Amino acid sequence: MPNHRQNTFMHPKFAVVGHPNKGKSSIVAALALDDSVHISNTSGTTTKKRSFPLRVDGKVLYELFDTPGFQRARRVLAWLEKHDVSADKKHEVVQAFINEHKEDARFNDEVELLEPIMDGAGIIYVVDASKPYGEEYEAEMEILRWTGQPSMALINHIDDTDYSAEWKRALGHYFKMVRTFNPMQTNFEQHMSILESMAQLKEEWIAPIKVSIKLFTQYQEQMFESSASLVARLVYESVSTVEKLYFYTQEASEEEKGKIERNYKDRLRDFEISTQKSIEEIWNHDHLQKEEKVLTFEGMDLFSEETASVFGLTRKELLITGVTSGAVTGAGIDLLFAGHTLLLGGAIGALVGGTGAYFGFNELSEVKVLGQTMGRRYLEMGPMENRNFPYILLGRAMYHTMKVAQTSHAKREVFDIEMDQTFKEKWLDVTSRKSLEKYHKKFRSGKALDAVDLKAYEALLNHILRHLIDG
Amino acid sequence: MNLKSYVDLVALLEVNPSSREENRAFGLTQVLLKNRPMAQISAWIDLYHNTLKRPLLSETFSSYLYNTTLTLVLMAFVLGFLSGLGLLSYNGAEPVNVIYFMVMVIVLPLATMLLTGISMLRAKSAQSILVHLSPAFWMEKMLSLLPGKIQENITAFKISPLLSNWLIIKRSQMIALFFSVGLLLALLAMVVTKDIAFAWSTTLHITPEVFHGFLTTVAFPWRDFAPSAVPSMELIEQSQYFRLGDTLSKEMITHASQLGEWWKFLAFSTIFYAIFLRVTMFFISSFGLNRALMQSFLTLEGSMRLLKEINEPMISTHAKPTNAAFVSDDMGYGQIVNTLDASYDSVQGWAITKDEILVLSDTIEVITPKHFKVGGTNSLDEDDEVISKSDGEVLLLGKSWEHPANEFLDYVIDLSRKVDKIIIMPIGGSENPYDIKAEDLDEWAKKMASIQNEKVWLKLSTTKLQSGGV
Repeated sequence: MPNHRQNTFMHPKFAVVGHPNKGKSSIVAALALDDSVHISNTSGTTTKKRSFPLRVDGKVLYELFDTPGFQRARRVLAWLEKHDVSADKKHEVVQAFINEHKEDARFNDEVELLEPIMDGAGIIYVVDASKPYGEEYEAEMEILRWTGQPSMALINHIDDTDYSAEWKRALGHYFKMVRTFNPMQTNFEQHMSILESMAQLKEEWIAPIKVSIKLFTQYQEQMFESSASLVARLVYESVSTVEKLYFYTQEASEEEKGKIERNYKDRLRDFEISTQKSIEEIWNHDHLQKEEKVLTFEGMDLFSEETASVFGLTRKELLITGVTSGAVTGAGIDLLFAGHTLLLGGAIGALVGGTGAYFGFNELSEVKVLGQTMGRRYLEMGPMENRNFPYILLGRAMYHTMKVAQTSHAKREVFDIEMDQTFKEKWLDVTSRKSLEKYHKKFRSGKALDAVDLKAYEALLNHILRHLIDG
Repeated sequence: MNLKSYVDLVALLEVNPSSREENRAFGLTQVLLKNRPMAQISAWIDLYHNTLKRPLLSETFSSYLYNTTLTLVLMAFVLGFLSGLGLLSYNGAEPVNVIYFMVMVIVLPLATMLLTGISMLRAKSAQSILVHLSPAFWMEKMLSLLPGKIQENITAFKISPLLSNWLIIKRSQMIALFFSVGLLLALLAMVVTKDIAFAWSTTLHITPEVFHGFLTTVAFPWRDFAPSAVPSMELIEQSQYFRLGDTLSKEMITHASQLGEWWKFLAFSTIFYAIFLRVTMFFISSFGLNRALMQSFLTLEGSMRLLKEINEPMISTHAKPTNAAFVSDDMGYGQIVNTLDASYDSVQGWAITKDEILVLSDTIEVITPKHFKVGGTNSLDEDDEVISKSDGEVLLLGKSWEHPANEFLDYVIDLSRKVDKIIIMPIGGSENPYDIKAEDLDEWAKKMASIQNEKVWLKLSTTKLQSGGV
């Protein structure tokens, strides 16, 4: 009988197995940071094994298998026990069972869950300690013992009641390592701790899992940096954005004023929504369902400014142009008089050009050429002058990121992003606020975004995020 | 990296031609470019350049810039040449006042260079007034009003204010440089073709000694290697001109041949102040533009993400998107009993010990002559034996939280072949006085529905027991 385990070294594999509906998929979702795993209260939802490899640049460091639950454990055990063999041959009997029942629909689930184990995967046996221990589990654990593969038990708590003491006593007979892991409330440290335990199952797995842990740390760092970068861009874009609405009458109507305000607010809200979506993708929460109040602008005194342009030049630009043109023309006259005018021509030209441009701006904008007016009137809203706005936006973004980062990938319920008062008061200290204000001032000024400033701002946000998430 | 690459990068980031995987693969293959972000971006642009739609926006933009710059430079040159001719026009009756020319080639360039210097320092500002002063800025505004598709494309392309300011600053230096070259050529042309009598004249009370000192200072860059290009005290005294009386002084007429010597000083002043310093400013502005370009590359939305994708290891923990999950459509079970009979032919418990079955039977007030434990640690043979002993109506108890697995269903099917009726009754846990959760009952109902057996009934209503339990 071929023995796959004696082949060349492969990456560590772990099969998450157990009784139906005990949270195997939730554990896999949490450990693989994958919110696409189908999780259901209905038992037997998972009918095929599914691989979740940790890939780094295409190379698999370890592989996790979500498997169906045992459906006919006693029958399988009865089949195995019919073969009276010594302990060193028991795994061959399990392999024989798989080979014989591959096409047998009755044992589909058992074959699916045993295959990765016989292919060298370590066993992670999941139980729900919120329910009492039952003797029906013993057949499952006995089968797993027959495989001869290294194993550990993971105690999950689906509900609040706790039977872990009796479970630990029972599991201790079958597994050398018993750990508790709640996939709904896990955090980075717990995740890494479970990985460390998994590494202990086999000596040759220690090194690759250590590398994986290091990479997970790096991965988390990347997620923090990318989130901070997106939040920084959100604040910059939102604060500096300018909305324009052209109108073709002497004065903007109330409807037009209302329209530009709506457009402006919608644009800022769209920035926020798309940033949130990107942050959710960064943290692998692509399927997150959430409830959140939209960004409001209460007490921000938003007002649109009516302005116009002639030849595409604003009033100020036209004024400068007028001054310059007048000065050049006047200087020409000075030249004609060989300087005897003492450069007064240039000075007077600049004055006349500037005054003309300033006072003639409105008239000039009304002049029609080929049926088109030379000037265009428009309403302008932004950049955001309210000094509190960046903090409101930042607070929301930080809270959202914190919640997303802290939410387990096993959760499937609708996620409520309603900032609590404690967070509002505590997320930003005076020192950080001062440091942030320096950059917000720059964003408002309309100055070009400096790469160094942006980097420093991102670093500051990263620091705040880390403090919020890691505590 | 140049402006063309920048425009290409903007266009490429908009179409996003490569996936995260491809970008990382690119980073892994370009090992020599590691830690050189600009080189990486440049190589990435080269790789995906061909995916951009033709004509390339970068080419349109560059050609537009080239054409407008050429037009402005030519206009500046002609203006400079004509200004030179105007300044040096000599009718033979009155000498040419060198002060005007000095203003044009020393004072004006120094003043504009000072403004340029301030503009450079304030180039980050999106609305730099000093940048707006540049002829390059407003002439371009005028040109942008010309109709045409290219103009539309150019107008639609939003360049960063920093880059646009530096572009204007650099082009202004070119324009000013060509203006000065025009002036110099006009000076040389006039000197060659005409006999110009230069003089200096001012209303201010400036003595020839003071003026000489001033000119020697002005001529400091070349006075050591071209002393003849520094007006001598004698020349300054001889060429001072007073308009009072409207005639030339006798001394000027006596030294008429020497008055032309001023041209060397004017030529050197033009070369140094208006041309050499302007060339220096041009190089500084080129350097500034390059720096602004580098900065704009890195602040461009998407470029940092691209660099991260290229340089950071791509870590993925996801499975392939196919999620083989079975979700039953069976929502309920039709064969329901709400109340139990007073007695059954046997009471059986799935993975429940015999003692527990006895307690439960007592609690639910069911009388039966036979109690059997099935499932759990029983062997299959033991279960078969129980089936063989079963008949009539059977009450089968199960732990409500342990949703029935196929093994349980197998047993029910086998049992149904032997008995007349099976009542399956899920029992709650003892912690919550045996209350059964609605979702657990649903699961039981779904499982029973999957076997569709007319002998099998489900006690579906929530059952609360008084004491004892599993």
